[in-house]
Amino acid sequence: MKQYLRIKGKGIWQLCALIVLGVALACCGEIITGVDQPGVATVGQVVPITVHIDIPTVGNGGPDYLIFGFLVPKGWKAAQNTTITYTSPTLGDGNMVLVPSTTLAKNGGGLNWPDDMKKTFGIGGNLIDDMEWVAYQTDKAFTHNGSEIKGDLNIQIKVGADNNDTQVKLGYVITDSGNGFTSDGNGTYYSEKITDCFSVTGGTGDFVDFCHPQLTTINPPKSLDNDYITLTFDGNVTTTALTGADVVYLCATAYTSDGQTIVVCEQTDKTKMVQMPDGSKKYQITFWPKSFFGTTDTQTIIKMDYFITDKTGATKVGYGNTSSPFEYNFKCS
Amino acid sequence: MLLLGTLFGSCKMEKVGPAAEAVKDISGNWKIIKATRNGADLTAIVDFSQFRLNFNQGKYTLVNKVPFLVGQNGTYALDDPKYPFKISFTAGTATPVATAFNFPIVNGARQLTLTFSPGCTNNTYVYVFQKSN
Repeated sequence: MKQYLRIKGKGIWQLCALIVLGVALACCGEIITGVDQPGVATVGQVVPITVHIDIPTVGNGGPDYLIFGFLVPKGWKAAQNTTITYTSPTLGDGNMVLVPSTTLAKNGGGLNWPDDMKKTFGIGGNLIDDMEWVAYQTDKAFTHNGSEIKGDLNIQIKVGADNNDTQVKLGYVITDSGNGFTSDGNGTYYSEKITDCFSVTGGTGDFVDFCHPQLTTINPPKSLDNDYITLTFDGNVTTTALTGADVVYLCATAYTSDGQTIVVCEQTDKTKMVQMPDGSKKYQITFWPKSFFGTTDTQTIIKMDYFITDKTGATKVGYGNTSSPFEYNFKCS
Repeated sequence: MLLLGTLFGSCKMEKVGPAAEAVKDISGNWKIIKATRNGADLTAIVDFSQFRLNFNQGKYTLVNKVPFLVGQNGTYALDDPKYPFKISFTAGTATPVATAFNFPIVNGARQLTLTFSPGCTNNTYVYVFQKSN
């Protein structure tokens, strides 16, 4: 007959579980306990955001600075358009200041704080790589002396400096200058919070949707006709007339600063978009617009309309899977 | 005294001067062996095989152009012939465009690495060149 080990008194198990949980919660590492952020704003509006933090500390550490990372679209120029203060009964009140780009992140493998944040947390689930981590630190240090530091980071950011309507997931991370983004036997020394899609309206520029998959994307998102651009058609987003195609082709029209339109709509190697990687249903072409459209040295391409077509050119897919073309403006901001 | 004189006189200090640093000679035809855009490798997805950058007696020539520091042929100059930190390109009468001069020896061959932004300043390209002949 099988015998199972039995420890009398289930209270012992519960007590052990509570102790383990208690140690885990009490020991070490910064925690973002919540973020108060509105869901919508208009271009140019100063948006208040509060990040609630909790730092349980153990004895004999520091003094360290609290490091805070804020993930925002590059076009917002957050470093110039943001002020952050902190309030804390234990740490006192003060300002968050930008960390110089020459300051290397602790345990960051030689990277500075923004680069280390990007390497560790990516772009927070956003789909267009035109985001940046802006790194701040407290203006005074704190020691790890066993106390628990609670407080708020109070952000005031003027959104939409690029004048673009935007949907984006904003991100927040904290750690301290003595540990960086690491974990050890004592706990995890950082905390990350990515919020739901935040919507900015009222702009006169392009609509930039970082949150939702797009049928086509262009990388780099901001470029001129003298850049190489990579155009990707993502066949996974929805079923289109091109679903199942081995290869698709780019059919594009360039609009130049001198009022010319140049059409390149052929189904040749020049316009061929290949699946990369094979079978991924993501078709890609990388080209130099100046050469692709054959502009003269004095012509500048300011805009491009385009469709994705099949081998015959008869089947076309446009913006939002409609018969209207996709549009791309060549600009840097 | 004679002994001392002989002792000191018998030794002659040999002067070993530092070897003169060679002038950095970049003349010739260069081809791109690696190219990145914002850190992402472009070499496999863009055909750079036809592009040549030729340096000859203070002049450079672009063959089968690609996005580059300059769009037209012109003159080039190093800021120091022996210890250059910068190379500048001047296309015709345009303002000179300078970038860091990186000229390491890799696997026994000189490479020339140039970093620049031909379009938006936020987009950084690095081309690694090697002599094509």
